[in-house]
Amino acid sequence: MKKIFFVFTLFFAFATQAQVKDITIQASGLTCSMCSNSIFKALQTLDFVEKVDANIKNSSFGISFKPGADIDFDQLKAKVEDAGFFVASFRVTMNFDKLTVNNDAHVNVGKNVFHFLGVKDQYLNGDKVIRILDKGFVSSKEFKKNSKLTKMECYGSGEEAGKRVFHVTI
Amino acid sequence: MLLLIFSSQLVTAQELFVYTEPASNMATKSIGFRLNNFFMDDLHSKKTGYMLIPEIMWGASKRIMVHADAFLSNRNNGFVAEGGSIYTKYRFYSVDDVHSHFRMAAYGRYSFNNTYVHQNAIDLYGHNTGYEGGVVATKLINKVAVSVSGSYLHAQDNGSEKFLYGNKSRNAVNYTLSVGKLMLPKEYTSFNQTNMNLMVEMLGQTNLNKGYSYLDIAPSVQFIFLSRMRIDVGYRYPLITKLHRTSPESFLLRLEYNIFNAY
Repeated sequence: MKKIFFVFTLFFAFATQAQVKDITIQASGLTCSMCSNSIFKALQTLDFVEKVDANIKNSSFGISFKPGADIDFDQLKAKVEDAGFFVASFRVTMNFDKLTVNNDAHVNVGKNVFHFLGVKDQYLNGDKVIRILDKGFVSSKEFKKNSKLTKMECYGSGEEAGKRVFHVTI
Repeated sequence: MLLLIFSSQLVTAQELFVYTEPASNMATKSIGFRLNNFFMDDLHSKKTGYMLIPEIMWGASKRIMVHADAFLSNRNNGFVAEGGSIYTKYRFYSVDDVHSHFRMAAYGRYSFNNTYVHQNAIDLYGHNTGYEGGVVATKLINKVAVSVSGSYLHAQDNGSEKFLYGNKSRNAVNYTLSVGKLMLPKEYTSFNQTNMNLMVEMLGQTNLNKGYSYLDIAPSVQFIFLSRMRIDVGYRYPLITKLHRTSPESFLLRLEYNIFNAY
C-alpha cells in the first residue's frame, strides 16, 4: 500500500512538472525597425531573459531563458506594451512530463494554473508548443472570439482564487 | 484550429512623420534627442533666417510621451535663445492587428517666447507664447501610414511684446494630413539596415477671427540608421497664403538619436 502511495505521489509530483524551453512572441502594430528595436531592447532588460532573437520581418522575438530562472509571462507581455505595441501571439515551447489535459479544465503546471481551451483530451509528453490566449496575449478580436470556448469566469479575469490562470491551447 | 499561423508579410510602414506627430508614442523609458534646423528666407528683411530647435523626447509610459524644446534664432540681434515649449501626447485608443493599426491620441503644447510678434499666423513652434490642444488619428496599413490631426491654438502676448493683431485674432485652428510610405528596405533582415521613407504632408491654419488661412505642402525624405538614428530632410511650400507669415517657405534638416531603456 505504501509503495502504491509512493508511486502515486511520484506520478503526480512529476505530472505537475513542465519546463519552459523558449518563447516566441509576435508583436502587432509595428511601423519600422526602430519600433522593433525598442521591443528587442525592452525584452532584454528582464533578469530572467538570457537572449532575444529578433525577426524584424515577422515582428517576432524568440526568447531563451537563464537556467532555473523564474519565467513570468505577464512581464514579457508588459515589456511589449511598454514599447508601445501589442502581443499578437505568444507561443511557449514546454517540455511536459506526462501531463493529462482535459478540454475546458484547469491543471496545475509548475507555479501556474493552465486552463486548456479548444483541445482534445490528451496526454502531453515531451516538447509541445502551447499558445496563451489570455487578454493581451492575442489580438482583442481573437480574445473576443475565443470567449465562446468556455463559460468559466477566469477567462475574463485571468485569475481563480487569487491564483493566476493562463488560458492556453495547443 | 486555434493556432493561427500568421503569414510572414512585413509589418511596417512609416508614420514617423517629419512635420507632425503620429498618434503612436515612443517606447517607455526611452529618451530621444533632436536637433531641428530650419532655414528660411524672410520676406521683409531678405536675409536668410536660421532657427535651431534642440529637443528632448521622453517616453514616460506606454501611453504618455513628453517633448521639451528650446527656440534659438538669428531673427533679431545675433543668434539668441527666444523661448521654449513643452509638448505632451496621450494615446487613448489603439486597435492593432499584425498588418495594421489605428490609433488616436490627444496632445497639448505650451510655448513661451520673447521675440517680437511679427506675423498674424500663430506659430507655437518658435514664434508665439500660447497654448494648443488637439487630437490626432493615425492609420497604418502595411507600408503606408496616413495621419490626420486637428487642434485649437491660443496666442498670448510674448512677454512685454504684445500680440499685435487684436484679441479676436488670438485664436486659430490647425489641421494636418500626412501620408508616409516605407521605400527601403524591401525586406527587413536586420536592425542595421537603413530605412528610407517618403512623406507628403499638408499643413493648414485658419484664424478664427476673419477666417484667413494658409495651407502648405511639405514633402520630405527620411533615413533611419541602425534602428536608432534618424535624418529628416523636408521642404515646406505654401499653396495658400491668405494668412500673413514672414517666412512661409522653409527648409528643414533634422537629426535625431534615440536611446532605448535609458534608465
